[in-house]
Amino acid sequence: MKKVLTTCEFCGCGCNFYLGVEGGEIVAVYPSISHPISQGRLCIKGWQGHEYIHSPERLIAPLIKKGNRFREASWNEAYQLIVDKFNQTITRYGNDSIAVLSSAKCTNEENYLMQKFARACLGTNNIDHCARLCHASTLIGLVTTFGSGAMTNSINEIEGADVILIIGSNTTEQHPLIGDRVLRAIRKGAKVIVVDPRQTQVAKLCSLYLMPKPGSDVALLNGMMNIIITEGLEDKEFIAERTEGFEELKKTVASYTPERSAGITGVPKESIIEAARIYAGSKKNIIIYSMGITQHTTGVDNVMSCANLAMLTGNVGKQFTGVDPLRGQNNVQGACDVGALPNVFSGYQAVTDEKIRNKFEKAWGVNLPSQSGLTVVEMLDSALKGKVKAMYIMGENPMVSDPDLNHVEEALKTLDFLVVQDIFLTETASLADVVLPGVSFAEKDGTFTSTERRIQRVRKAIKPLGDSKPDWKIISELSSHIGYPMDYESPREIMDEIARLTPIYGGISYQRLENFGLQWPCPTPDHPGTPYLHKGSFSRGLGKFSPASYKTPAELPDVDYPFILTTGRISFHFHTGTMTRKDWALDREYPKGYAEVNSEDAKELGLRNGQTAKVISRRGEISLPIRSTETIRKGVVFIPFHFAEAAANKLTAANVDPVAKIPEYKVCAVRLEKG
Amino acid sequence: MKILNKSNLVPFLEGLGPEFEVVAPLYEGQDILFGDLGSSPLATDFIGKPRLSPKKYLFPQRERLFTFNVCLESIEIEAHFNETKRVIWGVRPCDLYGLKFLDLVYLKDYIDPYYQARRANTLLLGLNCNETEESCFCSSLGTGPFAKEAFDLIFTDLGDVFLVEMGSKAGKKLIEKQANLFTNATTLEQVQGKLLEEKSKKTFKTSIDLGKIKAKIAAASGNPIWAEEAVKCILCGGCNWVCPTCQCFNVEDIKAGHKTQRVRYWDSCQLGGFTQMAAMNSRATQAERLRQRIYHKFSYNPDKYGGKIGCTGCGRCIDVCPVGIDITDILWRVANE
Repeated sequence: MKKVLTTCEFCGCGCNFYLGVEGGEIVAVYPSISHPISQGRLCIKGWQGHEYIHSPERLIAPLIKKGNRFREASWNEAYQLIVDKFNQTITRYGNDSIAVLSSAKCTNEENYLMQKFARACLGTNNIDHCARLCHASTLIGLVTTFGSGAMTNSINEIEGADVILIIGSNTTEQHPLIGDRVLRAIRKGAKVIVVDPRQTQVAKLCSLYLMPKPGSDVALLNGMMNIIITEGLEDKEFIAERTEGFEELKKTVASYTPERSAGITGVPKESIIEAARIYAGSKKNIIIYSMGITQHTTGVDNVMSCANLAMLTGNVGKQFTGVDPLRGQNNVQGACDVGALPNVFSGYQAVTDEKIRNKFEKAWGVNLPSQSGLTVVEMLDSALKGKVKAMYIMGENPMVSDPDLNHVEEALKTLDFLVVQDIFLTETASLADVVLPGVSFAEKDGTFTSTERRIQRVRKAIKPLGDSKPDWKIISELSSHIGYPMDYESPREIMDEIARLTPIYGGISYQRLENFGLQWPCPTPDHPGTPYLHKGSFSRGLGKFSPASYKTPAELPDVDYPFILTTGRISFHFHTGTMTRKDWALDREYPKGYAEVNSEDAKELGLRNGQTAKVISRRGEISLPIRSTETIRKGVVFIPFHFAEAAANKLTAANVDPVAKIPEYKVCAVRLEKG
Repeated sequence: MKILNKSNLVPFLEGLGPEFEVVAPLYEGQDILFGDLGSSPLATDFIGKPRLSPKKYLFPQRERLFTFNVCLESIEIEAHFNETKRVIWGVRPCDLYGLKFLDLVYLKDYIDPYYQARRANTLLLGLNCNETEESCFCSSLGTGPFAKEAFDLIFTDLGDVFLVEMGSKAGKKLIEKQANLFTNATTLEQVQGKLLEEKSKKTFKTSIDLGKIKAKIAAASGNPIWAEEAVKCILCGGCNWVCPTCQCFNVEDIKAGHKTQRVRYWDSCQLGGFTQMAAMNSRATQAERLRQRIYHKFSYNPDKYGGKIGCTGCGRCIDVCPVGIDITDILWRVANE
């Protein structure tokens, strides 16, 4: 049995395991013991989530749509059709009439090529990916306050913290091996505060649990800061030496008395006071947050408030202290790092900065567009307005993942031409004119960057199925066909180019990644990598307090739609379920969607546990069984978004944060009816 | 008893090459895993156990059983028996017991032809443990640290040489074929082996009281420990995946074109979907599922298999658990509360 060490393709923990290969098939998985994160452990998806690789539903040849049906085509035919259509579109409507979605599931090398393809070959900055939908607010919020938009700690530091504040992260279910570190910290005596409208598993194991109304985070965090300042518990030395803007913060949070904060959040004021005192009572504090903080129209405000709280108590820039946004996808950190975003090249270098642009123009040998491009939601809006005419989507499934799906479908159908590159004929691929068969992580080489900024190798274990090709190969061949040659022998060569052009990846080479990778920033070939950020000084120099006032979510419950819908994931499935729903073990656990409803609400509605209900919003309705439970706040309904046939995103609204453009998946108004 | 110079181990194993596929513990970076001899450096002097037992060679994580094709008037079936002749060297006593236990499950009352085919073609060359790891507790179960049975050959590390004991005719034949590599063990060397066993027994850091557990387990079903521990479980299934005696599987039909493959996979009793083919998992809560795992090994198995415990004492389920559920802690409470 051949063994191939590689990096897991599911969440951002970045676990490593061996794939056992026999007869060209993956027949076994076992965790790496010496890997710093896995340490011989995996979650169920790591152990038993790779069955989709050999699914008979895998795409193994390019498809071209004729009428309403697809037919198999040769690569050359597919490429030629795309070349013709893209050229026509650009000639008639200009470069910015094409938009590209890259993929947080694909490797760094592929994402880098995709943004290069958009910018250098198509001549547009209209490139984005699903980071927009999960951590766009983190990027902006943490860059504003700290100067760098990534998790400040290493995962293993969590275990050494004395206090962990988990706000809007279902850690043990969504980042199981990080949840492991939280539980280890608890075993060592750490105090853990969990803030979540759902009493998640980690909320049952923590020292203090707060159950706020969805969308009230700024009020809660301001309330905690109010108490800390009133009681003189702030770290005056840290504030004086390392930060600026404290007076403004003080002014803003002054009005968030415990009473007011309790009134807005629905959390008893005693709990807010207790949380503030616990948090301010230790010097080894870590804040963990995830989509519960970011996916709001106030996402950036929420993130900045977390950063404010950490700076207020001097809990950042030292080991075991920090602010840790947990990235959801295996390579969402990396896809951002290498520039699959409309405003930056790789390494967060702004496209609007002439000096930077000149550097890339010189390296790539073309003139590059100077205006920032469109974000995910804007692309679809522009398609509806007739400004975006063609799209190229790699490894994303907006027909299930994006807010307000009816609107998404309408937008995609409006396009003149849609190319989708995926391993399955997803809901999105079904709408395409051309479908290109990419490969799974087991069939290619490359790197993923985990949530702790750890760049790690992905190694090819088996040959691509049928006629499918590694995504980096497809992008380079397509680019060459269009007339911008990309001639890479291997992903290693692409990484060398990334390192040359990207200061934070400057010291990265495949050779150096052999021993479980390196954590960026890693600017030079002799730099050891950076376990935690902002040591000594913040990336931006001084940390900037960025106070925010509480704003209500964009859509609040009312008489017609009296419940708050909040969406999320469950531990057995991943995103739009294209992979996990094809795995017998994962599918067997949750073969279909459900709506979690507070048992008192269910009783009032006359709904029994398991009974089918209609959930209706202003944008759509779905039918699904309810799960009545005491572990969700009254007035709140939770629906996992994995299930296309009961798609939570038919209900959600495309209201976005004004700066980060992240949609408010965590709050919209719905009503429930007997199905 | 024979003596094999350590420098002759690789020549001996390679000498088996033409007839057998040889599997042994190998260094993969700092990890030790069973793999094909020669593909990575051989591990001979490691402490404790490779992180996964060699169970996968007899009962793989994913195994194609047969392919069938339903035609108009007939069904074509092609079974995929794996009859690779294989020698596994370096099997720890706990794992020897694990395979012996699987033999009870799959070769006694019910005969599993796929397991049988693999088992009949596999020779087990054990390696006694001179030193144990934190999580090892085999001495409490009588399954180690030195093996008394279930091997074809068993090796004991005496420093420069291995003391080799024969456990079967097939094992004896392996030695006879390369007799030039072996010498007869002196009495002193045999005594040395005994002394090492006694010394090894003193290295255990974990133990359980099997007698007390057996006496108390039936009464422990209402112990709060099941719920207290189960609340931490993240349903990774790790305790089952690494267990040398866990034997439960699921089968799936994978249809591609006209042909359908029937594939079997390791299954986990900790999952809600386990035994769903029989409508549902009869253990509705995680606490019941955790209790089932422990009861299966320490109560139901001994009842069914003449007192044989379904646990090898290897401690892998402790090492693999991301949330710190520890079978020895649970058993202590079972015995003492």
